[in-house]
Amino acid sequence: MKKFVLLLLTILLLMPVLDKAHAGGPPPKNVLKGVFTSVDREQHTVILQVDGSGKLKKLIVGEELALEEVPLGKKVLVSLDPHAGPDVIKDVSVMFMDMTVIKIFAFLMVGLIGGLLSGFIGSGGAFVLTPAMMSLGAPGAVAVASNMCHKFPKAMVGAFKRWKYGQADIKLGLVMAVTAIIGVQIGIKVQKFILNHWGNAGSNLYVSVVFVCVLLLVGAYVLFDAYKLAKGTGEEKQSSLALSLQKINLWPMMEFKVAKVRISAWITIPVGLMTGMLAATIAVGGFIGVPGMIYVVGASALVASATELIVAFIMGAWGSIQWGLSGLIDIRMTLLILAGSLIGVQLGALGTTYVKDYMIKLVMAAVMLIVAVSRGAKIPGYLADLNIGPVLGERLAFVLNTISFWALIAALAVAGVIITVAMIRGMIQAKVEERQQSVEGALPHS
Amino acid sequence: MRQHNQTQLRVDRGKRSTTNKAPAIAPGKSRGLETRRTKRRPVSKMVLFGALSMASYFLLFSNEQLVTQTYTLGGWYAAFPVLTAFLFSFVHGAFASNLLSVLGIEAKKTVTS
Repeated sequence: MKKFVLLLLTILLLMPVLDKAHAGGPPPKNVLKGVFTSVDREQHTVILQVDGSGKLKKLIVGEELALEEVPLGKKVLVSLDPHAGPDVIKDVSVMFMDMTVIKIFAFLMVGLIGGLLSGFIGSGGAFVLTPAMMSLGAPGAVAVASNMCHKFPKAMVGAFKRWKYGQADIKLGLVMAVTAIIGVQIGIKVQKFILNHWGNAGSNLYVSVVFVCVLLLVGAYVLFDAYKLAKGTGEEKQSSLALSLQKINLWPMMEFKVAKVRISAWITIPVGLMTGMLAATIAVGGFIGVPGMIYVVGASALVASATELIVAFIMGAWGSIQWGLSGLIDIRMTLLILAGSLIGVQLGALGTTYVKDYMIKLVMAAVMLIVAVSRGAKIPGYLADLNIGPVLGERLAFVLNTISFWALIAALAVAGVIITVAMIRGMIQAKVEERQQSVEGALPHS
Repeated sequence: MRQHNQTQLRVDRGKRSTTNKAPAIAPGKSRGLETRRTKRRPVSKMVLFGALSMASYFLLFSNEQLVTQTYTLGGWYAAFPVLTAFLFSFVHGAFASNLLSVLGIEAKKTVTS
């Protein structure tokens, strides 16, 4: 109780600082929300009733946009082009898509499998949900916000379940979350620096290269480790790197009871910072967080993936408040995904109790490597934008984009299949063992 | 009320040890199977939370226009989507948990030992 009060007090004291701290990418600037009330065809202007204040604002329609594309009477997100002058519209997107039965079904399915993955490896789902929402017609900012708002309740339920199974290390989760939030701020600063120096295409290229390098390197290592464990006894040992790092007796030392690790804070902090930096860059910090907790801190895959859910909950809740303040959450999408993912996350969480540690690593590696392919397919386009690579033909660009999107879906599907098969096998084996035990136990009495 | 898995497991082990002393099970019958048969599945709770969840979804989607407008006003209105997500996670999460129990999908028992 004392600890809880102390924690609350610390949070309250840090409120003014936290207000400026982002838990994911920052909400977009130069964006207005509201409803177009009228169009002036002669002056090429529109009147927007701005959300919240209700004020009427006259905006100039930019050259890239046709007047026919301006929807009247619908809530829209208006991106302004500050380079073209004040109040010049660059782009308009309708905030709320029409829900069709197919879209609802798609959300439920993606939510279910995304949740399953999240409950099993601690993160994931987010990397496919945002592009999926966008391809179904949601504006990018709304997709990010709605995804963030679905992430924290899902992670909360998953973390609670896995805490009940004795797998989640709350202290490690809190340390990781706090340092990750600091890492996010650094990540945003790096992104801004790149954006200012090399523009949008440069930023996209940077994100993709980071994405592909991190996922390929870490994914390949995790896969190699999982393969080694699968070939051997399947019993996980602490990595030699973690063991030697644990010997560094540098104040302050931290003890994580569930993870069964005593390690200097100077080791855990960089892992958290890197997680945050990656979260700010590619929106999925867990791809560094979980391997970091396994190979650097020395937690088991089971504990690391469970603890990542605590990190996801804290960061997701914080991010949701910030995106909510900008009024960008489409609660319908959030809740439809949640309908599936709350079942999936609990299924994934209980699935971990039936499998060996290397299974979590195998799923994680498979997802990371397939997602790397997805992002890798976008690199030629960005290189062409920067005039470094050859210009892509329309057909090639379309094919690469299609590969990129379907690779994400494939990652989700592959993970779903591996988890389901491993879980069913584990359950059957557990039942057989239980039956054998009960038969052995019954023999002396019969 | 049914207890958490961790607590429940302890109860199960307790039951086993007592049955060892007093063999209430008919000879030839497996005790593991007996425990499973007597374990009550939370059907009523699943139905209750399922109905609550369905009602919440119905309420929200039947007022789609009002909800989407209000929830995206920004500022203090941010509390609406965040609290709604919390509420749904409790109600729908409880339904999902009970649904899995009713289907007989539960965590492995030895996990907390």
